[in-house]
Amino acid sequence: MAEVEETLKRIQSQKGVQGVIIVNSEGIPIKTTLDNSSTVQYAGLIHQLVMKARSTVRDIDPQNDLTFLRVRSKKNEIMIAPDKDYFLIVIQNPSD
Amino acid sequence: MNVNKSRMSERRALLLRPSSRAVTLSKSRGMKESSSGSRHTHATTRSQTQSVVDLSSRRRFSLTAASKVLEKKQLESEPELRVFDEEGHDVTPRPLLQADPGAAQARSCRFYMEEVSAAPGSVSEQTAASGSLTVPFSRSVLGSSRISSQSTIESVNEEIEETFSRRDVIITVPDVQVKRDTGDKHVTEDMLKDIIDVFVCETDTISLLDQPCTAVSADADDAAAVMDRNKRYSEVCRNRMGSDKFLERSVQTLSGALKNKHVQSDAVITVDAAAAVTAWDMYDSLNASDREEAEPSSDAETSKCPDSAVDGSRGVDRSASMVSMASTASASSSLKDVDVCSSVKTESDLQLIMQSDRFHHSLLVMERSIMGNTFQPLLAAYRQLPVVADQQPGTMELKEDEEDTDSRPSPALQHLWAFSCELTRGRRVSCMAWNKKNQDILAVGYGELDSTGVEPGLICCWSLKNPTWPERVVHCHRAVTALDFSAHCPGQLAVGMSDGTIAVYNVQNLQNQESGVISSSECPNKHSGPVWQLRWTQQELSFTGEDKQEVLVSASADGRISRWFVFNNGLDCIDLMKLQKVNNVKKKTGGKKTESVLSPLTPALCFDFHPTDTGLYLAGTWDGLVHKCSCSNTQQVLETFRKHFCPVTCVSWCPLSPDVFLSCSSDWTIQLWQQDQLRPVISFTSAQRAVCDVQWSPRWAAVFGAVNEGQLEIWDLNWSTLDPIIVQPAAPGGTMTSLLFTPQSHCVLVGDGQGRVTVYLVENLNVGGGDQVRGGTRVDHGSGLRLDDTKPQAPLHLVFQVDVLRDIVSSAASSQVAHHIW
Repeated sequence: MAEVEETLKRIQSQKGVQGVIIVNSEGIPIKTTLDNSSTVQYAGLIHQLVMKARSTVRDIDPQNDLTFLRVRSKKNEIMIAPDKDYFLIVIQNPSD
Repeated sequence: MNVNKSRMSERRALLLRPSSRAVTLSKSRGMKESSSGSRHTHATTRSQTQSVVDLSSRRRFSLTAASKVLEKKQLESEPELRVFDEEGHDVTPRPLLQADPGAAQARSCRFYMEEVSAAPGSVSEQTAASGSLTVPFSRSVLGSSRISSQSTIESVNEEIEETFSRRDVIITVPDVQVKRDTGDKHVTEDMLKDIIDVFVCETDTISLLDQPCTAVSADADDAAAVMDRNKRYSEVCRNRMGSDKFLERSVQTLSGALKNKHVQSDAVITVDAAAAVTAWDMYDSLNASDREEAEPSSDAETSKCPDSAVDGSRGVDRSASMVSMASTASASSSLKDVDVCSSVKTESDLQLIMQSDRFHHSLLVMERSIMGNTFQPLLAAYRQLPVVADQQPGTMELKEDEEDTDSRPSPALQHLWAFSCELTRGRRVSCMAWNKKNQDILAVGYGELDSTGVEPGLICCWSLKNPTWPERVVHCHRAVTALDFSAHCPGQLAVGMSDGTIAVYNVQNLQNQESGVISSSECPNKHSGPVWQLRWTQQELSFTGEDKQEVLVSASADGRISRWFVFNNGLDCIDLMKLQKVNNVKKKTGGKKTESVLSPLTPALCFDFHPTDTGLYLAGTWDGLVHKCSCSNTQQVLETFRKHFCPVTCVSWCPLSPDVFLSCSSDWTIQLWQQDQLRPVISFTSAQRAVCDVQWSPRWAAVFGAVNEGQLEIWDLNWSTLDPIIVQPAAPGGTMTSLLFTPQSHCVLVGDGQGRVTVYLVENLNVGGGDQVRGGTRVDHGSGLRLDDTKPQAPLHLVFQVDVLRDIVSSAASSQVAHHIW
């Protein structure tokens, strides 16, 4: 448990990491380092995106499943680790 | 029911009686055995009442007779009643339904009564007429003592209803009870398993309606008779008008009073639902239903129909709810602002999630992705991938190295990154080893050199994918001095410590480490001095050389080179060699040989096994001697190479050229030897510091690296034997302590005294090919491309370099010989 906390802290302190959000299965953010409005926005939007991505992957092959999703944009990169019970979202700006 | 009706029509006289008797029979039966109260609703009571009254009104004569019979019969007090009609025929009614007793019986009775009561005749009118009849009927029927209170008839209807209600009670409920008792057999498991033969056969044809045709063909036999009859009938009809035989009479049918009935029911709640059927949805439903017996999970689908309204797939539900939630997210964000992280449910969710293994794994992957982003250019350089810069629109930078063809940039080391974290800060790196299976994993041992210290040591397993935090951390009780990964079991890491203990850790699952560590601490033969070198090596067990097994060999400061094996949950060893102190062959005046008094053994500082001949190894000692030993001979060394006069810190066979090896020592020199020559072939000196470590490059045959305390040197024998081609000074104030080449890349790792392992990329080192100008003589490599048939097909450039090395060595050797001769 302490190890998990430490890993989270390390991730938060990495170069260029702008925010870490953990969202539970209902779409409610349960732990975040960003402000509330951004958090809620990210949680809602990313949930939809992950559902669509997962549906895409599984439509092609139902035995397959989505394990990781990275969205690279001009300004930053959003990395999402989806799971049945939670989403882990990290926003990083690698060129910082 | 139609059947009943037809039977009724056929045997009208009889059936009604039996029916009434059925009622009374059951009632009488009930009377004898019943005891329960009324549970029946009033509606059925009323219907029963009606029907019984109707019956009684219609069949008066039969009733009286029946009542007589009944009186007689009831006094008998038998469960089985036999009924006889006027002629004395036995008309005991058979029960209509035998298979389904109890409620079905009552129901069928009830239905039957309904049918009968549907016949015209209102209750109220008939009641008065039949009042007199019902009285004797009731009296006769209710001849038992139970209804003795009903002797006086106040109101016919009420009494009838009352009695009938009670009778009804007695009829229906005990009826049910009786039937239930007889019909309810305990169905045991065995009975279920019995094979019951069920015979299915056709019943006789039951004709429900037989309406003969009224038209007769003109050609039929009785056509004449029919036509006569028709004629007569038409005559009668014609004569009807004025004749006296026919009288007009009108009849009025009374239509029954209409009764309004209201029924109220709950409104049917309809729910609109929609679902999109996807391929994975169907796959999940199919698999979930298959897995339901094995593992009833809470998330299993409850229905197979993908578009069923409420029981749709969880994903769809979630997506639907999420869509709705997302659309209202902005609207309800104010709500959420307050409650985002403070509700109890989310707290417990958070705890649950953080403790799950999957979250741990997600964190690991996430951290590596972040590291990948941060270190992307460096890692790409490490793996020799072309570095792609982020393309910015508008600034099209086409990086073309135009100076490649013109001038060669000088060889240099590019600093990539350093493995370091707070745990390792300040600790001295003593040894490093690559994992034999996964080339991205590096084990680094940390420990101070002074043997008096009892401070704990540290082992970190680093992964290339995360240079900022080690994957595994193991704290040891003593400083770590040597380590090596096993090739046979890639997860096993053998660690040697400064007190002589050797432990074998399994780095794959470090959680249950306390029981999983195999250690030599209880072994009586354990080393008494620091273990300076450990190696896993393939050894032949049998003489044929076919059977190879991996063994762990260690060299320690107590002068022994031992082979270890697992014994009794610990390690035990067999000595391969005890390194005796060899005295200098010096002629003393007295002819006495000086002997050491402290110990006959000299500390072994390093050893290296021959790359191809696994029974042969070199050992470097404190005395400065390099012994060539064999595993089969534990008493004597095969040869001794003397040159160094200070402790030999490292020996290393050349991996590409089998007869050449290097040794480095604290006397500031590195010596290159050939196996069959007792004098070194080439000596290298560059700095006036003790050389800690030397290693051949695995990719270039003529290149090796050496570390002395202040700098890292890369020597290229092709280029020069006098100076290293690249020199990398240590960080100011720091010392470099160990060196490791990377097998699949052009990088070299250097460990230093501050706990950092720095990764350098060796670039622009031109080896092999082209004309090499070396020290004044031009070496012709035109004939250098010889493919040896016995060796496995080595890459051409390696073979080429090996030949280059051989040429250098042989030329050096010959020049030395020449010198000697000279």
